[in-house]
Amino acid sequence: MKNFRFLLIAFLLLVFFFSCKREDPIVDIPIKYGNIGFQFTHNVDGQALVVDTLIYTNAAGNNYMVNEVQYFVSDIVLQNSNGTFFSFGTGSDVHYVDSDLPSTSTWSVPDNIPVGSYTSIAFTFGLNEVRNLSNVFLNPPESNMFWPEFLGGGYHYMKLNGKWVDTASNLSAFNFHLGIGQTYDAVVVDSITGFVQNYFTVTLPNSAFTVREDKTTTVEIIMNMEKWFNTPNVWDFNECSATMQNQTAMQRAIENGGTVFSVGPIQ
Amino acid sequence: MVAGVAAVFFLLTACTKEVPVTVVYIGDSTQFNPKPYTIVSPWFFPTQMNIPADNPLTVDGVFLGRTLFYDLRFSGYQSADSQMCCATCHVQENAFECGMNGAFPNGHPVGITGIATPNVMLPVVNLVWQNDGYLWNGLIHPDNPQANRRSLEDVVSMAVYAHHEMQSDTNKARNAIAVISGYKPLFKRAFNTETITFHLMAKAVSQFIRSIVSVNSKFDQYLLHQISLTTSEGNGFVLFVTEQGADCFHCHGGDGNPLLTTYQFYNNAKDSVFNDSNDRYGVTGDPMDHGAYLVPSLRNCELTPPYMHDGRYTTLDEVINFYSEGLVNSPYVSPLMHKIANGGAHLTPQQKADLKAFLLTLTDYDLTSNPAYGPPPSFP
Repeated sequence: MKNFRFLLIAFLLLVFFFSCKREDPIVDIPIKYGNIGFQFTHNVDGQALVVDTLIYTNAAGNNYMVNEVQYFVSDIVLQNSNGTFFSFGTGSDVHYVDSDLPSTSTWSVPDNIPVGSYTSIAFTFGLNEVRNLSNVFLNPPESNMFWPEFLGGGYHYMKLNGKWVDTASNLSAFNFHLGIGQTYDAVVVDSITGFVQNYFTVTLPNSAFTVREDKTTTVEIIMNMEKWFNTPNVWDFNECSATMQNQTAMQRAIENGGTVFSVGPIQ
Repeated sequence: MVAGVAAVFFLLTACTKEVPVTVVYIGDSTQFNPKPYTIVSPWFFPTQMNIPADNPLTVDGVFLGRTLFYDLRFSGYQSADSQMCCATCHVQENAFECGMNGAFPNGHPVGITGIATPNVMLPVVNLVWQNDGYLWNGLIHPDNPQANRRSLEDVVSMAVYAHHEMQSDTNKARNAIAVISGYKPLFKRAFNTETITFHLMAKAVSQFIRSIVSVNSKFDQYLLHQISLTTSEGNGFVLFVTEQGADCFHCHGGDGNPLLTTYQFYNNAKDSVFNDSNDRYGVTGDPMDHGAYLVPSLRNCELTPPYMHDGRYTTLDEVINFYSEGLVNSPYVSPLMHKIANGGAHLTPQQKADLKAFLLTLTDYDLTSNPAYGPPPSFP
């Protein structure tokens, strides 16, 4: 009798477990995609940049103008609200922006982006050491950004060129350029002892957005030019008007770079 | 049975290997069998070329263009003392400028009627990589509202018409060539027609010009790790590519831009008064373009005096002295001339010598001696 009960209980348990273990058919839920594009704009004091015009005053009191700004952004990373990250594929990992070439201000990323809500956008300003190799861009306009091999090679992260009224009231030129820095021997003049990677990561504040199926979400990325010159380091062109071969200056510049970008309308 | 064999030898210099490449044309002279013409350059040169879709380079097209380039009858005149061709001014041994050692001792060419060109010459070298407008002011550009001012082919037409060049017209030029029966098979092979038009003549000449590349200077060989620079040349190179040195590279390229120019248009601080209607402002109307001109390539600069758009300097020493201590400020100076406040880079005599030594490494003797760029073996 005990055996019968044991067998009955065992049978019922087997029935119970097998019934629970019956596998439901696997249903593939298709991933839906949308697209993203970027619009790069340049502001000064909250207004659209007006080039070639001596109308701006920086935090140091310099009366200045901007003639052109050219730069690379790379390795854009989108953080999904589920905690995952999305990076663009090869061919979409670097973008060049040139205020003299309006077509570069718009970037339609060809990659398919999974639909959903994203909490932030981050990118590298400039090019990291893996990407920033000499002669990877053989054609203009990118090739015109080359950074001499003698100074570390690769490319300018940015050329920001303009003029200001100097202490002698002359209109002088500034070249606010960023790229690989150098360390120099303390004794031997102009002897380079090492190189410094000056690229930096920008995480755009308030950059949450949604990707919808078969729609393109366009994000405006604003470079607020005046912040290169005021936050946290106040920049006086009379003290430094050319940054190449001056790592101390470039370090101050990249510290300011962390505050330069913001997000405009997302559509 | 092949009706005939025409063999045209193009000695192209494969600069990556320093081995001449012989391209042999074999075929019926009456057949249209276009063989693509390949431009060979070191790996670090641009891959995108300014070749219009309706005028691709072919071996036969380039050969026809080369023949026309050197044919004095191209100008359309019968009298020998009135005849002129592209090569009258664009001299191979002078890197396709007139230089100061030939027909124009001051380096400033004059046309058939003795009228001088508005500016001195630009070389017809490496134009296949020039994208942002031809001539000193970039007038010839695809965006020009005038349909006959957009391409290199248009520049060929302008040379025929211009009163300071051939002062002829395209009908005369066409007629002068069309009556030469020997040209018909050349046009047949190049364009599949024996009907000669100036339109096709300009296409052929443009093909030949696009084939002229300078890619094998001592500097190129240095970049290919085939040779070393001397100490002075190396010091000059460092000056060339450093902002705290002579800072030439932002406009004139270097190891990352072997064209030795950005082909942009800048005011390089030569003057403070601007009244030249042929400057960049004359094309764009942008006030910042007053006194701006094309940044010329420094390739072969040893062979191409005089310098600047108006030929004001006749030696490289004068040019170096200008950039060292002769800059003139104005509201229109390019900001890339960032040493403007001090009047220049203020180089020492040794630095000037080193910089000049480097500039001399940019001379390409393959360009000046390559038979493929010289006159054809014979004229029709």
